Formats: sequence, C-alpha cells, structure tokens
Amino acid sequence: MTLTTTRFDWVRQLVHRESAIVLAPGKEYLVEARLLPVARTMGLTDVDQLVDTVRGRPHPDDTRRIVEALTTNETSWFRDGDPFTALTSTVLPSLTAARGPAERLQIWSAACSSGQEAYTIAMLLEDALPNAASRVSITATDISREMVERTRAGRFSQLEVNRGLPAPMLVRHFTRAGSEWEVSPALRRMVSARECNLAAPLPRMGPFDVVYLRNVLIYFDLPTKQAILRRVRELMRPDGWLFLGAAETTLGVDDSWSRVVVGRSSAYRPLKGA
Amino acid sequence: MTVRALVIDDSRAMRRIVTGILGDLGYETRQAGHGQEALDVLHEGWAPDLCTIDWNMPVMDGLQFVHAVRANPDWRTVSLVMVTSESEHGQIVRALAAGAHEYVIKPFTADALRDKLALLGLLPEEVAL
Amino acid sequence: MTHVTGTGPRRRASDRSPSITTLIDTATVQEITEQAWLALVGEDEVLVPLPAPVPADALSAWVEILGPWNGSVVLTCGRDTAHELTRALLGEHAPEVLEDEDVDDALGELANVVGGNVKAVLPGPSVLGLPEVGVTPPPGHEADTCRVDVLWRGSPLTVRVQSVPAERENEVPL
Repeated sequence: MTLTTTRFDWVRQLVHRESAIVLAPGKEYLVEARLLPVARTMGLTDVDQLVDTVRGRPHPDDTRRIVEALTTNETSWFRDGDPFTALTSTVLPSLTAARGPAERLQIWSAACSSGQEAYTIAMLLEDALPNAASRVSITATDISREMVERTRAGRFSQLEVNRGLPAPMLVRHFTRAGSEWEVSPALRRMVSARECNLAAPLPRMGPFDVVYLRNVLIYFDLPTKQAILRRVRELMRPDGWLFLGAAETTLGVDDSWSRVVVGRSSAYRPLKGA
Repeated sequence: MTVRALVIDDSRAMRRIVTGILGDLGYETRQAGHGQEALDVLHEGWAPDLCTIDWNMPVMDGLQFVHAVRANPDWRTVSLVMVTSESEHGQIVRALAAGAHEYVIKPFTADALRDKLALLGLLPEEVAL
Repeated sequence: MTHVTGTGPRRRASDRSPSITTLIDTATVQEITEQAWLALVGEDEVLVPLPAPVPADALSAWVEILGPWNGSVVLTCGRDTAHELTRALLGEHAPEVLEDEDVDDALGELANVVGGNVKAVLPGPSVLGLPEVGVTPPPGHEADTCRVDVLWRGSPLTVRVQSVPAERENEVPL
C-alpha cells in the first residue's frame, strides 16, 4: 500500500516545519516503513489512518512521534557540542563555587529520547569529577514509556554509537553487549529515567541546577511553550542554567530569563524578581 | 584553502564511497590500496590533512600505517581516522593508543563520518574560517 | 603435551573451540546484516527473513575468523543479485558497466563488514582474514553453523557463520 501524494505531502511539510529536514519525493516507502510502528502504537491499522487522524486532530505528542520516527538518525551524542562542553567549562565551576562541594547537583534532561543526551552529560561529568555519581544526579524524562525504558537500558546499536561520540569516550564508558554497546555501571548510577509529560503539570522533581530542554519546544504552540517554560522554571534553582536547542530562544516567548553566551551557544538563567 | 584527504582501503568500492562522501564535503582526495601505497603518497610530498584508514589490508595494514605516520615528526599534523569493520573494544583501544585520532566503525553513514570529522574540527567549511 | 607431526603442532580434542550456536544467535547475525544494509545499501532497505533456495550460479564472499573460535562468515547470493547489490552499494559512484572485479570487490567488502561485526560479538581477541570471493565457499561444519536466510529486494541471500569442518578441528592455524 503506498501513501497518497496528498498524505505524503502533509508528512513532508510537517517534518520540514518541525525539523528543517527535507524528505524528497520517492521516500514514500521510507515514510511507510517508519510510521507503521507509530500507527500501531496509537492503535491504528495503517499509516493512512495515522495521517488522517493527526491531520484532523493535531496533538503535539502525535506530531512529535511522527517527526521523531522520521528523523531518528539525527539523534547524536554531544549534539551541537557547546551546550555540553559548557557544563564542565563554565556551569559546573560556577555552581560548585555557589553551592559548596558537598551539595549534590541535579541535572534534568527533559525529552531524553533514547538517552544519548543524558549519557553524554554523564560521560562528561564522569571524566571531569572524581566519584561523579556522588556529586551529580541526572534525571532523564520523556513522554514515551518506550524511550524511558531505552534510556534505562543504556544500550545502543553500532550505528547509534557512530553518531558524534568521540571514540576515546566510547572505549572509556561502554562495553560491548552482543552486537550493541552498553553504558558502564558508573554512568548508569548517575542517570535515573522516568516518564513525564511536559505539557501537563509536572511531577515533583528537582530542584534542578541545570536543565536541558532541547529541540522539544518546537512541537508546541506559543501558549504551551510559555506554560512549559514557566513549569520548568518552577523546578529550577534561582541561579540555575537552562539550555535550549541550537535554533531555539526564549526571546518572544518568555521574558523572565536572561541570556548568557556560552562558547558558540547560549544558556538561559532565571531573571531575579521576574 | 583546500583540505586534503587520503583514503586508504583495499576495497575499491569502499574507496569510491568514502572518496565520494569526502568530495561532497569539499575535500581534495587521493586514494591508496594499502598502508605502503599510502606511505608512498606521503613520501612523494603530498601532505594530507586527513587519512581515512581501513584496518585489514594486504602488504601493510592500517595499524602499521598509523604507527609509521606517528613515528615521523614531519607528519605530526596529519589526522588519522580509522574506518574499519574491526570493532572489538580492545582493537579500538589499540588503534587509539597507536595514535589514531578517531575511529569510525563500518557500517557507517555519510552523516556519521561527517560527525566524526566535525569533532576533530576537520570539515573544510570550518577549516576555512 | 603436544605431538608434533609433519604438518605442525596439533590441538588436543579437549581444546576444540566452542560451538558457534552457543556464541551467537541468528537474531544477532540478522541484526548485524541489517545494520550493514541500512547504512551502506540504503536506509529503506529491508531484509525479509525467509528461506529460499539460492540459484545454481551463486557467488559467495567470505572472511576467516581465527581466535578462540575458528571459522568463516560467508555471504552467498545469485550472480544477478550480486550485480544489483554492487550497483546499490556504489550508488552514484557506480561505473556504467560493472566488471566482475567490481562485483567481487563489493561482495567481498560486505563480507568484511558483516564478518568484522560478527567477530566483535564472539570471544576475542580474534583475527579477521582478508575477504575472498568465489563460486565455491569453504566447507563448514554443517552441524555447527549459524545460518540466516533472507530475501533482499525479492532475491535470496544467505549469511552463514560456520565453524571449521570436523576433519580440520584438530589443526591449529600457524
């Protein structure tokens, strides 16, 4: 069964709008193959039904699932570099000075997907701090139970570990498990994963010193973006740090943050008295 | 400013594929079928910024090539990236210890190779800055 | 104590390498082959697990693995399939006319990629041989083989991870 042109065009436009990725004509087979599992997860029988359902009743979770299913090869380690290297170069020294060495820092990877971001952070900290697991805890959340379980498992395919993960870090922090690679127990100790829907009232978590909220606000309309940023801020320390995706900003969305340049990227910090 | 890459693999198909990817990224490329041929290119005076290196090749394998390059101070600025199906944990450690800068496991995609080169700051568009 | 004969030292029966079926399963071999196809042949490629007889004019490519386990990883498909595979692998870089040399080389490289990744699952350290291509692959130990049969674009393809045959079990490669 092949996707009709109108349905394929709708998917193409959605993907381009949300991720800037271009799906060329001729990729209908790929779209079918990748979206069929998404349709089944939603209790639908085929991709046509999925497209019609989501088109008729757009919901950020559904559009996000669709875009992610078609762009999962974009999931990489150390995505965009600076927001992670900033952790050890700028953020950690600043927080340790403010808190003192005994206090455990809390980091949140919101929309963690299969876990690359959370474990990227864990690897950096493990390399930078002696006994990192006692100094930092990383909470990884995602709306998808499947993604939460994947993050907990900490196992990645050979194709996945090829994406932007420096080889010295691969050998330091992973061991082979069959045809896959598995994170070390030290990393696993630092990360705890749970389900969380950003667009709904958040569970009691944190307070967080650092939050990574990258490439997820794009799926929501302005009022929801504002609500999410407000809820995230409530779970953060007043002198905490927020990292968004490379093309994202709080400008025009929420003016209770101040922007700080960190390397070639930006971080956002709660404005005092806002 | 052109960035040069030497593609070293005993498989012509793989040399074509890697050369194609690197060409698209803006590299000027040459090829060699094994480590000794690659050393000959270096001795000729054509200095690559990057070598992509397969492990298992006749005459001189990739690991021996890495050792040879790292033993020569004239070639200390050459970046060495393994591109190989050899993926035992211990082998990756050995290659890095011998002086390889990065390691791409076959099978790889064009994006994966690009990512690794970006990590090393070796993409032509970046070098030009 | 080893007894040296004209052909070199031999292993004792108690040193026989473990059965391949205890070291790797068909699901893992399938996964390794799929990842190779997805990355190198095309991201929408599908390998359907479905046994089908390989045509009479089959071509095979194989790599030897020498280590705690000894054997080969053998890829086999029809000659036409091998041609199509070569074109797909080379993509825009494929020459207009494919020589036998191009096909042997492409199939050999796929055997190298699958073989290297299979080797990394097995107990190591092991050595991977250079790929060989031909009409007659090396014989394997029939009872000690992990075999995956798939259809690629409707054509049969077989991946075999086979231990050295029983008669050669007592030889130690030098």
